[in-house]
Amino acid sequence: MQEIVIDCLGEACPVPLVKAQNKLKEMNIGDILICQIDHSCAMKNLPEWARTDGHNVEVDEVDDGEWEVVIEKVK
Amino acid sequence: MSTFKETMLKISNNDMYKKWLKTAWPYVTGAVLLSLFQIATLASTGNPWGVSGVFANWGAWIYEAFGGSVAKWYYFSSDGAQATLENGFLNHAGSWRNIGIILGALLSVLFASQLKIKKIKSKKQIIAASLGGLLMGYGARIAFGCNIGALFSGIASLSLSGWVFAIAMFGGAVVGSKLLVKFFM
Repeated sequence: MQEIVIDCLGEACPVPLVKAQNKLKEMNIGDILICQIDHSCAMKNLPEWARTDGHNVEVDEVDDGEWEVVIEKVK
Repeated sequence: MSTFKETMLKISNNDMYKKWLKTAWPYVTGAVLLSLFQIATLASTGNPWGVSGVFANWGAWIYEAFGGSVAKWYYFSSDGAQATLENGFLNHAGSWRNIGIILGALLSVLFASQLKIKKIKSKKQIIAASLGGLLMGYGARIAFGCNIGALFSGIASLSLSGWVFAIAMFGGAVVGSKLLVKFFM
């Protein structure tokens, strides 16, 4: 099991979402992707997409206006 | 723990606070509110809701403050446009509305304690933002409206032009997305 962190701080929508989608494609089942984001719209669309795609998702508010979206690749 | 901290913790754990101020509202709630407020705007100011046209007036007022004159510019040549400029910033409903949008956005972020001054990540972002802003501003003026004035208010007033704008904007968004993936991924 691998844990991969992508730094999307300072990136506006839809860059974080597309980056996460591309990264997740390269990963193996069971791997964890941690997306660091500070754009509130990514905080909505990134977890929404990952959940609809069937992955396990958790959002941590790490600081004011800063989040980590933790995605476990399930399939 | 100090009482201030305790109170703040109590508020941040409060369900009503989480529901109304912390979490983003559903898209449908936003859509319904926007529809209601644009009706209120049309009824109270006599003009449909617009955002970017106001910036053209702001530009004219700034230009005039430095001694320039836009009286001969085609865009401002109508009596209505001249009257709006002469009445000034303080009497311009659209200007107050835009200031309200900016302050309201700031307030909502502060209430949710999500204010963050973001770093500029690369020079590419500066170039893309400046170019994009110029294109949007220029396009909105020659189209007599942006995605609010021409699209939203156009469709809301059952005007065909709003739908034409929507089709063209969709095409532009497709091209824009391709460019974004090409230059920012």
